[in-house]
Amino acid sequence: MKLEGEHVFKGPREAVWQMFRDPEVLGSALPGTQSLNKISDTEYEATMNVRIGPVSGSFSGKLFVSDENPPESCTLTVDGRGAPGFAKGVGKVKFTENGDGTTLMQYEGELQVGGTLASVGQRMLDSVSKSMIRQGFESLDKALEARLAAGEGKVVDYKPPTEAEFAKAVAKDMAGGLTQVAELRMLMYIVPVALVVLIVALIVRGCGG
Amino acid sequence: MTTEVKTKVIGKSVWRNEDPRLLTGMAQFVDDIELPGMLHAAFYRSDYAHARIKSIDVSAARARPGVVAVYTAEDFGDYWHVGPLQVPPPLAIKGAQFNARPLVPIAKDKVRYSGEPLAVVLAESRYIAEDALADIYADLEPLPAVTDMEKALEPGAPLVHDDLGTNLAADVYQQVGDYEAAKAKADVVIARRFFKDRCAGGAMENRGIVCAWDEKAQKMTVWCGTQAPIPMRNAIAKNLGLSEDQVRLVIPFIGGGFGPKVMTSMPDDVLLPWLSRKLNRPIKWIEDRRENFLATTSERDQIHYAEIALTKDGKILGVKDVFYHNTGAYDPYGMTVPLNTQTHTLGQYDVPNFYTQIKMVFTNKMVVTPVRGAGRNYGVFVMERLMDLAAKELKMDPVEIRMKNLIQPHQLPYKTGIIGQDFVENVLDSGDYPASLKKAVEMIGYEKFVKEEQPRLRAEGKWVGIGVVNFVEGTAVGPYEGARVTVGNNGKVVVLTGCSTQGQAHFTTFAQLVAEQLGVDVKDVHVTTGDTDQFHWGAGTFASRGITVAGSAVYAAATKVRAKALSLASKLLETPEEELELADGVVRVADLPSKFIPLGELAMKANPTRGTIEPGVEPGLEATAYYAPPHGATGYGTNAIILEVDKETFDVKIRRFVFVHDCGTVVNPMVAEAQIHGGVQMGIGTAFFEQLVYDDNGQLLNASFQDYLMPKATDMPMKMELGHLSVPSPLNPLGLKGLGEAGAIPPPAAYAQAIENAIHDVDFEILDMPLNPSRLYELVKAARKK
Repeated sequence: MKLEGEHVFKGPREAVWQMFRDPEVLGSALPGTQSLNKISDTEYEATMNVRIGPVSGSFSGKLFVSDENPPESCTLTVDGRGAPGFAKGVGKVKFTENGDGTTLMQYEGELQVGGTLASVGQRMLDSVSKSMIRQGFESLDKALEARLAAGEGKVVDYKPPTEAEFAKAVAKDMAGGLTQVAELRMLMYIVPVALVVLIVALIVRGCGG
Repeated sequence: MTTEVKTKVIGKSVWRNEDPRLLTGMAQFVDDIELPGMLHAAFYRSDYAHARIKSIDVSAARARPGVVAVYTAEDFGDYWHVGPLQVPPPLAIKGAQFNARPLVPIAKDKVRYSGEPLAVVLAESRYIAEDALADIYADLEPLPAVTDMEKALEPGAPLVHDDLGTNLAADVYQQVGDYEAAKAKADVVIARRFFKDRCAGGAMENRGIVCAWDEKAQKMTVWCGTQAPIPMRNAIAKNLGLSEDQVRLVIPFIGGGFGPKVMTSMPDDVLLPWLSRKLNRPIKWIEDRRENFLATTSERDQIHYAEIALTKDGKILGVKDVFYHNTGAYDPYGMTVPLNTQTHTLGQYDVPNFYTQIKMVFTNKMVVTPVRGAGRNYGVFVMERLMDLAAKELKMDPVEIRMKNLIQPHQLPYKTGIIGQDFVENVLDSGDYPASLKKAVEMIGYEKFVKEEQPRLRAEGKWVGIGVVNFVEGTAVGPYEGARVTVGNNGKVVVLTGCSTQGQAHFTTFAQLVAEQLGVDVKDVHVTTGDTDQFHWGAGTFASRGITVAGSAVYAAATKVRAKALSLASKLLETPEEELELADGVVRVADLPSKFIPLGELAMKANPTRGTIEPGVEPGLEATAYYAPPHGATGYGTNAIILEVDKETFDVKIRRFVFVHDCGTVVNPMVAEAQIHGGVQMGIGTAFFEQLVYDDNGQLLNASFQDYLMPKATDMPMKMELGHLSVPSPLNPLGLKGLGEAGAIPPPAAYAQAIENAIHDVDFEILDMPLNPSRLYELVKAARKK
């Protein structure tokens, strides 16, 4: 599966980078994230729990950063595994100063999935990804806004969405055309959702580091 | 050659003996079996299609409360073993190359397909067992996977079996005449590449097994849904080092088999009986739907490079077909499926020169074994498509070119020169092929449709098309089946046979065969199929062989019992045998019905408690008989359809569906028609709905009924118009031929022809199956661009 797109952050590149340096912000943008740890300058580790409806399982992922050209671009390799399956992805991320005080983030990547994710979640993966990415960026936008308002270095008052709010928003995005029982629908959404969020987070986090 | 049988109950649509139990929920299935102290098994399976196993950590799973044991390949120690092959290699075919790589019960060292088991958990409940799966961590090193048959044979392709040095599982060619010489003389040669993808068996009930070791009796009892109880019993006994009589297989009602349940030496039947004995606890495992999709077995994908050589007036000189057959990660079922393709390619046509070659390939996909149709439909698809392409090239009518090349009735029995799945030469034993085609053409009103209706509908802007295709169905292969028929003291009759039943109505049709001979009510005949303690000879229910092979054995045993009853009654009634008849549950003097003896009483007298029985007479009104066909009996037929393609959505609606078939003598027309209906449903599925989609990494992308489309009731024809021919087979006393797979064979070929015919204003060819609306749209779009 191909993942590609772009997002404009309403802030200067420097501020965006500052945000990305803070694992707390990214962790809180991801429901269920238990840890997002820097192992070395080029290696990160994340674990994440998913327990919604009938699906439960923990994912652990590793991220390797290469071809780093701070603060403009880097290549990321993601390797995540867990009860719902596995994912392996390679992606390129680029940050560009727009000149009007905003920062353009562009990303493109190739994602391989396996296990339940592939065999049951495949059909929803593409559209769920889009919903998740949209929401992930919305969270980060709010976080960035709060940080800019509060000024650098200060504790910001930012409340991340709960797991339930997150899942609800995805379900809302995905509604239409689905007539399955709620539980089955949840299974279809949540697993890929969790994965995509994890990967986006890792990508963002990786470049931030 | 043929025997005319005057019948009383054979040929009648008797209502099914099994239905009251099935319809009132009183039928027992595997999952209904509950035993005290029973453990529940769950398999931990690989997410990767191809990976090296570095380590598997099951310590957390073992520590979970309620978990009794967790086993990996290592934990099975010396018990871990490969195979055996369920079907022997094709040694009967000269020059055949076959690399045997039977299933392993649980992956060791390496994973070869996504879903292959890595560990088995036994717990006090299935809930706990499933939870414990999440505690297991398998450290797997992913390897590049290979899924494409042609790429798999390229140098440098990842190897599924490293020790083999190639992914070539088999290379088998057979030929009749000299195709190349025929081609040199031909006016027209047409060559194409055809592809047909995989489909699932998709039985309503998945696999399941309950096994219970009785330490005091030193006996293993296994309940499961196998199509082949006796081979499975023998395999389990061998695995456990027991005598066959120490293992009893009981087959309860089964919610559909369709092929994959013929498999033995699968993880469940190899590992769980051993564990039950070791732990001295009963164990149950019921496969879930995702496991069934990923890791039971499915039906084949094949790529054909086929050509046909003809004269300019449409006479076929020769056919050549070199095809790749994807056997998946292992080849436990030998070459049954591709050999079926070979024997069915030429179908009803008289082709003097034929070259056919199988290249069977290992890939990182699920293992392929027969599913209803079992390769026959692939041969038929390729040949019927070649006929259509030839008709188009030669500007002939598709029916005309077919009629011109049919094998004529006087040519039967027709030796094809091709060795089939049963390792004997395929012989078309009986039939009237031109009659079948004529009947179908008449029933669908071909002439009128093509000349009047179609032009009118086309003028209205509709895409409406017709397709007429022929097929044969090799059925009723050996080796043999047997049966025992016993009249009880209550006058009721018990029939035992070794094959099992997955919904084919054996409880009724076998009872009819017995009732015919013994003059009892069909309801008074109780049939037990698949209880190895009661009858332990036979091969199983597959290849459309139940009624013909097991049924012939049942009929033969009933005939023997009849002879015994007449002989004894003759003495007791002091009347010559010729003057006696069996009817209404008694043996009576035909001209003096008041002089009779009930069958139950006769049975009692045949088994005296004192005195003696005459030398050479076996006690009881009981007999056992076997039937072994010299080769399979071949059914055949013609499928004619009219369908409409929606110009906006490219969806297909069937307007008419005609199916002409010949299964020889019909035991129960209602059951026979239902068999065709079910087969057609699968045939339509493989034409337009069902497809197992794998990605390049060997991941199955649609392992649920959410994404794997089965035809719904609304996708089926409003009316199934069946035409019956009945040319009895000379191979058995009743003239029976199988029929179970017939309906599944021709629909893809019929769809292809009818859709091309419907979309008359676009020049395109359907060479791949299955289709679906979006693929059809893409095909038409691409053709329009040209």
